[in-house]
Amino acid sequence: MIIVNNVTKSYGKIIALKNVSFKFDDSHVIAIMGENGAGKSTLLKICTGILPFDQGEVTVDGFSIVKDSIKAREQIGYLPEMPDMYERLTGREFLFYIASLRKVKGAENKINEITKMMGIYDSLDFEIGSYSKGMKQKISITSAIMHDPKNLLLDEPIYGLDPFTSKAIQEFIKNKKGTTVIATHSTQLAEKVADLVYIIMRGRVVHFDEVSKLMSKYGSMEEAYFHIKDEKDA
Amino acid sequence: MKRMLETSKIILKDNTRDLIKKMEEAPVLYVIFTVMMIFSILVFAYATYFLLNVETNLNVSLEDVFFTIFFVFFLKSAADVYNHFIMSSPLSYSLSTQVDQKKTVFEIFLAVLFMDLVIWFAFSSFFLVALAAFGVNVYYPLEYLLFTLGVITAACVGCAVAINFFSPRRYRLLPTLILLGFILNSKSMLYASLMLPLAILHVGWSIKNSIPSYLFVKRKERLKERAQVKVRSVIKALFYRETTVLWRDKLLFSFVFSSVSTGLFAGYFFIYGEEILLPEVLRKTMSSFLPAMFVFLGVYVVVVYTAVFPALNLFLNEEKTMWIIRHIPVKNDVFIYGKTSALALCFLTAIPFVPYISIFMGFDQIAFLLWLLVFSYIAGVIISVPLGVKYVGKKSDIMLLYSVAMLLFAVLGTAATLGSMIRDYFAYPIAIYILTILAEIFVLYLSLKISSKILALNYP
Repeated sequence: MIIVNNVTKSYGKIIALKNVSFKFDDSHVIAIMGENGAGKSTLLKICTGILPFDQGEVTVDGFSIVKDSIKAREQIGYLPEMPDMYERLTGREFLFYIASLRKVKGAENKINEITKMMGIYDSLDFEIGSYSKGMKQKISITSAIMHDPKNLLLDEPIYGLDPFTSKAIQEFIKNKKGTTVIATHSTQLAEKVADLVYIIMRGRVVHFDEVSKLMSKYGSMEEAYFHIKDEKDA
Repeated sequence: MKRMLETSKIILKDNTRDLIKKMEEAPVLYVIFTVMMIFSILVFAYATYFLLNVETNLNVSLEDVFFTIFFVFFLKSAADVYNHFIMSSPLSYSLSTQVDQKKTVFEIFLAVLFMDLVIWFAFSSFFLVALAAFGVNVYYPLEYLLFTLGVITAACVGCAVAINFFSPRRYRLLPTLILLGFILNSKSMLYASLMLPLAILHVGWSIKNSIPSYLFVKRKERLKERAQVKVRSVIKALFYRETTVLWRDKLLFSFVFSSVSTGLFAGYFFIYGEEILLPEVLRKTMSSFLPAMFVFLGVYVVVVYTAVFPALNLFLNEEKTMWIIRHIPVKNDVFIYGKTSALALCFLTAIPFVPYISIFMGFDQIAFLLWLLVFSYIAGVIISVPLGVKYVGKKSDIMLLYSVAMLLFAVLGTAATLGSMIRDYFAYPIAIYILTILAEIFVLYLSLKISSKILALNYP
């Protein structure tokens, strides 16, 4: 469970998040939607302890991301929007490096299993610098899920993936236990995997609802998103 | 007319804004750097004045200076083309427009050339003003013109080397190397400057065939290393990652090479420097100072290359990968210790300096040399690690490296003087050497603690 309480974050004069509060419950897939620059990625970075914030409080499974940051980060798996990795390491070396830092038990089996599911297993011994965008995304997703985190934070998880892997990831997200938070522009992804959706605009939460309710009301998540956005813009 | 040189303008604007942003973010660093640059130019000007007015056996000719400058601008231009063309993903936008791709690459070359000339005119003008202040006649218009033509030639050849080196048809590099060989082998600045038309033709030919070099990627499979891949303890994993990258970037080889060559050079000047550099009248008064200075300079160069450079880059290079360090549940101290432990391997590459300089100095000096090397190495790490952590994101910032190097120069100058006094005046200097190293290790521990504090995020 991740609780974000009254968090404000600014970059100089630009306010990225203003007094936002979320409660990401266990056994839920939560989609964070919003236009470019709304603050989705910033929110995920704050929840993982990558970015400091100006005020408020964030706890992960009861551990403060500020005071108990190590314990809080142990409970998290994170996929960044731009998965930059060490280009001179091979995919296999990078994954074992992360497994070592996270002290993952049975790392080799898990890495083999996940990378086979992703269709990247045969390329694991190439340097990351030579990977395509999608291949990097697959390695980064593997690093985010190989320690079976209770809380998974994914920033645009299917971006750059082929249809087969994209479907496999969607299945994985749907079947995963614990909390999964997805920041995405894709209304289709939200429709397929999410239970709840938060819509944020200009650093504020403007709508929160169950996906099933929005679907029955508007017919599709795309329609729901446009409707809510127009309503709030007006 | 309005659409001319768009790519050149964009590159120059981007570089200027980047510099301004860095100056705003780290004003202290850039003040230190500016002071160090001014100081260095003044020292060079004074050295020139000294060599012009005092008769020595050292023959530093104008050609030597010319080819040193040529080589610096050659390397800089090649690196600039690598960054702004070969590895520049954003360039895809320019290359995909209706503008001729060769014209776009040509504009990149123009931007590189413009930056080279700005640097050349700025530094050379200041150097000439300093020389004039020392009373040296600086009215050599023809020589200045030849130097300027040399800089342009260097830019052309540097750009051509970068383009052809990354071409799928590597044989294209051959004419560039032949041209470079002719220029360097001529040992004449007039000849090198007159090669400019040929260099322009050559860079034109290279630009014409440049597009296949864009976004050069060599897909490298590492099956042999697969056996080494396993889960390690956190410190060992951090050590393994750092040393793997150092190994793959061939940096360890260049460290060993620099240690050996510096040892030989410093040793040679330890014996013959007095004869080569000092006039007869100064030999008696400076005979003990000069050899000691060469030993110190040798240690200093080795430490800057094998300690300061890798220690700064431990965190400077983490610019885009900081998300990994930040989201992994590992304490900052552990990250710092693990990464710093990789410097132990870099230290091994510095050790060849000692036996090679000892060939000239005598092997009875090994204890003192080892102490000086270890002391200097640890001092380099003490200064560099916190600065590297502080300025994450200023990757390979030559200004930062230069500022740290100059700071270290002052620290080590004092330490080396004290060290030689200990050797001369104490009966058991080794005991004192060991004590100073132990004290220094404690300071290193404090430095790493401070680094981990700097690495922590600042929450209100």
